[in-house]
Amino acid sequence: MKLILSILYIVCTFLCKNVLSFALLLLSAVLLLLISRIPPRIVLRSLRALLFVMLFTAVLNLLFTKGETELFAFWRIHVYVEGVYSAVFMLVRIMVLILSTSLFLTYTTTPIALTDAIESLLSPLRVVHLPVHEFAMMMTIALRFIPTLMEETDKIMNAQKARGVDFSSGGLIKRAKALIPILIPLFISAFRRADELAMAMECRCYRGGKGRTKMRVSHLHASDFVALLMMVLFGAAVLYLNRLGLFYTL
Amino acid sequence: MATVTLEHVSYIYGKGTPFEIKALDDVSLTVKSGRVTGIIGHTGSGKSTMVQLLNGLEKPEGGRVLLDGADIWENPKNMQAIRFRVGLVMQYPEYQLFEETIEADIAFGPRNMGLDEEEISKRVREAAAFVGLEPELLQKSPFDLSGGQKRRAAIAGVMAMRPEVLVLDEPAAGLDPRGRDIILRGIREYGERTGSTVIIVSHSMEDMAAYCDDIVVMYQAKVFLAGTRDEVFSHAGELASVGLDVPQITHLALLLKKRGVPLPDAIYTVEAARDCLRTLLQ
Ligand SMILES: Nc1ncnc2c1ncn2[C@@H]1O[C@H](COP(=O)(O)OP(=O)(O)OP(=O)(O)O)[C@@H](O)[C@H]1O
Ligand SMILES: [Mg+2]
Repeated sequence: MKLILSILYIVCTFLCKNVLSFALLLLSAVLLLLISRIPPRIVLRSLRALLFVMLFTAVLNLLFTKGETELFAFWRIHVYVEGVYSAVFMLVRIMVLILSTSLFLTYTTTPIALTDAIESLLSPLRVVHLPVHEFAMMMTIALRFIPTLMEETDKIMNAQKARGVDFSSGGLIKRAKALIPILIPLFISAFRRADELAMAMECRCYRGGKGRTKMRVSHLHASDFVALLMMVLFGAAVLYLNRLGLFYTL
Repeated sequence: MATVTLEHVSYIYGKGTPFEIKALDDVSLTVKSGRVTGIIGHTGSGKSTMVQLLNGLEKPEGGRVLLDGADIWENPKNMQAIRFRVGLVMQYPEYQLFEETIEADIAFGPRNMGLDEEEISKRVREAAAFVGLEPELLQKSPFDLSGGQKRRAAIAGVMAMRPEVLVLDEPAAGLDPRGRDIILRGIREYGERTGSTVIIVSHSMEDMAAYCDDIVVMYQAKVFLAGTRDEVFSHAGELASVGLDVPQITHLALLLKKRGVPLPDAIYTVEAARDCLRTLLQ
């Protein structure tokens, strides 16, 4: 349910087309953040990680949007008012995207719930014999092992540093070569882990999705429908504000 | 010969997040040169963190790490040189093997030092002999060896750099008694033959008693006790208060003494007890 809502929300971010609807969008994002009670510092950090991508798109938009009212021209670069608008809009759009996905999915949802959601959303595909359960299981396992692998990389890196590998100097080729002593042990231990995990799962009689029941069956509550309703209202508001076409429209 | 000193060192994991963990809290310590020092303590008492500070893998949050009196962070560009002088074998080092043959893997460290081939092969042979790896194993792939053999190969890989300070994090964990003995004896032999300072982290009081000259007891991110083996083991009561214990054979010797058997005070190994009892019986 949450998954559907966040997909809807993302669609809305792309529907926003003018100043008013963008204001509404930003307002809703801030409100959501406040409700979720995630420490602002963590949110800022997740934004910072993608800062480069954001700035890059903004600059591209700034430079390559052609409009009628030229703001200023420098050498062969013309900056149009439209470009500024679209750059700002793009920035806000990406920001809200990141905020909403991290908000809905990574910070407030457990990976298990997430894969459960994916499994149930994809379940219609079972008709065409897609192994939906296996798919979701694979995702859960992959998610589960990301931190483990990161920790492992850290350890192996330290061990090789202790043996005199230098990762921080030298040319590109030298640095790439320094990665070999990291990657080989990493892959080997990943394979070994996969093997062990498969064995452990078999030992506990795992044999795929057929006839499996869930430990936590999630039901739709009234609050879910309220949320859906609000989402629909929000979408409608965005569309309406777009139609008003005040100020500037893309 | 080299002395390692920690001055008021503290270290915090995850600084600035809600999950801050103080792994070391104002630790001051001098490890005497040319001796084997054991570091013992409960899970999570900060042992691994401490040894990673010794060769500059981690930077202390406060305080200084000194090697022969010089701060190792004084010139971070020189860290590689420091790491050749302070060789660290991490916990479960067998997962760091990657070369095609054991020989090439042991040679990896010395090769990074820029030594010539002749010297490298000499050191590889020497290091393999220290840990008791048979020469015919050297041409095998690291992944065809048993766990204990892999462990020995990984330790040899650091010994081959001939560090002045050899630091090992739980070198004998998870091995059978014979495997432990081979490794620990090899490490001690390395120290004696090269005059290097050796630091061993371990959980086992028995191993410490048998192979270490000095012992440091860690408890909740602090140094709880430090001194020679006899000094530390004479504080049996304090050790018990942090959940550690003197070796079982020491308990036995104390019991025997109470019953009137004239044994000396400091008996920490089964061999020592055996020898004492034998002379008494004769
Ligand atoms: N990478 C890390 N990130 C966050 N906390 C850590 C990390 N490594 C260790 N810690 C924490 O620091 C403390 C000290 O850990 P350390 O690994 O030094 O203990 P240890 O004495 O070596 O234990 P063990 O005997 O189990 O190896 C522990 O509370 C541990 O949870
Ligand atoms: Mg440890």
